[in-house]
Amino acid sequence: MHGFFKWSSKWWPGVIPLTVFWAIAAWTSTAPLEADLAARSAAALHDTVLDKTSIEVAGRDVTLAADAFSEDGRRNAVKSVEAVPGVRLVNDETHLVPEAKPFVWSAERDVVRVTIAGSAPLPASKAKLVESARGALKGVEVADQMKLARGAPDRFEDAAELLLGQIGKLKEGKFTISDTGVSLSGMARELGDREAIAAAMKSLPEGFKVAANDIRAPPYVFQAYKDPVALTLTLSGDVPDDSVHAAIVAAAGRKFFSEKVVDNLKTSIGAPGGFAAAVVPALGALSRLSTGTLAVSDREVKLQGDALYDGAAAQIRAGLGKDFPQAWPFKAEISVKPAVAPVDATVCQQLLSELLGKTSIRFETGRATIDPDSTGLLDHLVEVALRCPTSDIEISGHTDSDGDAEANQALSEKRAQAVVDYLVKAGLPAARFTAVGYGSTQPRVPNDSEEGKAQNRRIEFLVK
Amino acid sequence: MAYLVTFHWGWLLASLLLGLGMGWIAVVHRGPGVSRALAGWLAALAAALVAAALARVVPGRPGYWLELGLIMFAPYLVGCAIGSLLRAWVVARSVTTVSEPRP
Repeated sequence: MHGFFKWSSKWWPGVIPLTVFWAIAAWTSTAPLEADLAARSAAALHDTVLDKTSIEVAGRDVTLAADAFSEDGRRNAVKSVEAVPGVRLVNDETHLVPEAKPFVWSAERDVVRVTIAGSAPLPASKAKLVESARGALKGVEVADQMKLARGAPDRFEDAAELLLGQIGKLKEGKFTISDTGVSLSGMARELGDREAIAAAMKSLPEGFKVAANDIRAPPYVFQAYKDPVALTLTLSGDVPDDSVHAAIVAAAGRKFFSEKVVDNLKTSIGAPGGFAAAVVPALGALSRLSTGTLAVSDREVKLQGDALYDGAAAQIRAGLGKDFPQAWPFKAEISVKPAVAPVDATVCQQLLSELLGKTSIRFETGRATIDPDSTGLLDHLVEVALRCPTSDIEISGHTDSDGDAEANQALSEKRAQAVVDYLVKAGLPAARFTAVGYGSTQPRVPNDSEEGKAQNRRIEFLVK
Repeated sequence: MAYLVTFHWGWLLASLLLGLGMGWIAVVHRGPGVSRALAGWLAALAAALVAAALARVVPGRPGYWLELGLIMFAPYLVGCAIGSLLRAWVVARSVTTVSEPRP
């Protein structure tokens, strides 16, 4: 034993090369060891949900900084790193993410992008929401301004996804979740979208409720354009249903006797009340113009164009008559078409016959009241009459053979007179016109069919 | 510990071999040895360093270097011990062989 101590007292020279070994080992191994421990620590945290994770290794000591989403999660993260083989100490610099109270999240849509802001509970849900927004709006930029926070209500993610699914129905606006209250504001993209969004809100997860729904519907738009060159009347925009659609197209067909009706209307819900009652008289006013545009936006009716003569312009500016709904503001910007060169009696007669050949002046059944559908035609007749100021014109009324001959005679006279009254009211001198009634004595075609009778019920203009 | 051993087994083996060599030489070495008092102090120093390493009072890289030094020193000592014992055994055998007269 004594010998062993003696020998060991001579072991010290080996410490010098050992120190050199140690220095080399320390020099070469520190960085790889630290990298290895950092990789192992990161791998250990792989399944733990953390934000802003930073792992720094000095020697075998790991400094772990991260934001955790629960106290358990935070503790588990530290424990996982402590359990990594080779780690000596963990300097715990983890924090809990701040709690948001109230927990507010919002998605805002404008022309070019969707901005998602506010709080999100977890990084995964944040990414998922951004994905949902991208899926709902293909090709629209999605800006993510969400911050992570604790305190989200139960099933927050479901509620937010439901809202993002609806954001395509907004033209511009904002969906907000504040704790469990959902607020909606903005303008719907199309008619019916506001209602669709409101319906979708019924499937919000349990506990969530709509605190405010201020989504506005886009204006209900109807337009009609009378093109005097192409001889078309183009209808576009929205109509409430198929029956109103058919009624409007039929009314347009009656009022616009020489124009082809181009129907580009589509059925949309959300029409203001009394839509047809407002649009049909407005179309009547448009039929009196040589060219013009009728634009109905919600309840606002705008008519622009050129009237055929001064009197017509004044009448249209004065309003659309007693049948037009009071609640609908009517704005007319009417100018008068420049007067056309005068013509002689022959041309005058030709022009009048041409007009009356396309359609006839219509009256209420059995009465001498001119149907409002015929005002367009009458205005055109006035325009022609104004072009031959020196010619006198005989206006003759004819009926079909139905009924009593005397009554027919009287009716034909009254109807001819009603037309003369219209012309005089339009500003033509009364002396130029004579109203004559022929009853059923001068049928144009035999009265043996309904079509024949309809052709025989007529007003004729004869230039003298 | 196990991690350090697996990570540095090359250096530990080198230390062990160095120790074996030193122990082998030490038995027949005629140079000055370490005095008893100094050996005591050195042992105390080693114990203090081991205590510091176990208590993990040295932080970060220096702490690691301390552990590395100690973990290399241990196989060195073991190597020295084995080397010295082996040499002593070999020397003892040859002395016995020389002193006994051939028949």
